[in-house]
Amino acid sequence: MSGEIVDARGKRCPLPIIELAQALKIINIGESLTLLSDDPATVADLTAWARMTRNEVEQEGDFEFLVTRLN
Amino acid sequence: MVPITARFQAESALHPAARALLLEIFDQGWAEPRKLHLESRRAAILLQEAKESIAADLDLSPTEVHFLGEITLGFQLGIMGLIQPETRMVHSSIDRAEVLAIASQFPSSVEMEVSNSGVVALPELRPSDLLIWQYVNAETGLIRTMPIELVEFSGRVFVDHTAYPTQAPAIASWSSALWDSSSWSGPNGLSIFALRTGAKGWRNPFPHLQQSVVPSGFSLPLALASAVALRHWRSDEEVNKTKITKLATRIRAFISENIPDTDMIEEQWNSWSAIVSLSFLYIDAERLQSDLADEGFTVDSGSACTSANLEASHVLKAMGLLSQGNIRLRLHHDVTATEIDVFLPVLKRLVEKQRQ
Repeated sequence: MSGEIVDARGKRCPLPIIELAQALKIINIGESLTLLSDDPATVADLTAWARMTRNEVEQEGDFEFLVTRLN
Repeated sequence: MVPITARFQAESALHPAARALLLEIFDQGWAEPRKLHLESRRAAILLQEAKESIAADLDLSPTEVHFLGEITLGFQLGIMGLIQPETRMVHSSIDRAEVLAIASQFPSSVEMEVSNSGVVALPELRPSDLLIWQYVNAETGLIRTMPIELVEFSGRVFVDHTAYPTQAPAIASWSSALWDSSSWSGPNGLSIFALRTGAKGWRNPFPHLQQSVVPSGFSLPLALASAVALRHWRSDEEVNKTKITKLATRIRAFISENIPDTDMIEEQWNSWSAIVSLSFLYIDAERLQSDLADEGFTVDSGSACTSANLEASHVLKAMGLLSQGNIRLRLHHDVTATEIDVFLPVLKRLVEKQRQ
């Protein structure tokens, strides 16, 4: 498990998802990181992002998401 | 100013025949059709002809056709006019904002969810329900054909035809329906409101003196021009349908091969090919829109990343489709293969540039 945190609070779409994708490249397949984002558009788009890139997202708090790299 | 190479936004210029007529009719159709002067009688005849023409094109009876100015008024009349104290309003999550606004006023309303494969989850309907049925979704092109179990539905039905001028509703027991003149390259600011003959229980929901009468504040010249535009649109649609479907297929094939990480409605869905909605991951839609404009292409967007929308399109959100980096292409009747072939490589280059 990686304890890495991507803090994208205060940033507007598409920045949080771009930063998430960059951080995901650094961790290994099967590992997770935490994304913090308070942009409402990003929150809605995370599900679509996970479906399109075949990764996994779990909402842990209002602005906190656990993202697992699956490929 | 960059010259426009191709227009892919929803709005289209008035049909040339409608425009020519409009200029002429502002001279002829100024009188109040309900009065008895000679000019008024002429205006009344023109109005009746326009009603008959529109009725024929939309498969309605002329007495069912009413002209309205403001489209929002059409939604309010059509829906609120059918609501009674015990009525439950059943609508979908991808209905137009006007519908969602009305539903928010009625706590008993039920929202049907729509999946990202376009499937609508129908609740168990009661005969006292009012069903709101949007035929074509303007943002995704999704066509919602009436499920077989609904054909027999005996409750009230409001049909939203505003995105596409389909003929009269497929459901036999429809009560009210609404069309938007601009959807057939007719004038803006005119809608067609229909109340089915024999439909039960509609009454004017606004302050009124005669309860069965639809308010009629509209511009007669616009109504006449709209009838002409619709007649032309129908024949143009017949001629260009196949071309548009082919071009939409070409766009999808190009995107699948050349621009990865794009979310688009799959072709096997029942959708209207004149609307192509594309969402690119890691792309700022506002920047893409203005980059495209700099190259001479106009497109729409349902993204929250554009200043025109504070919130992402509720339709894309409700269907679980990506809303960031969203652009929407509308293929009008005059679209050409050359325009598409010039556009696609530019789109690819601009998406790649932004993703670097």
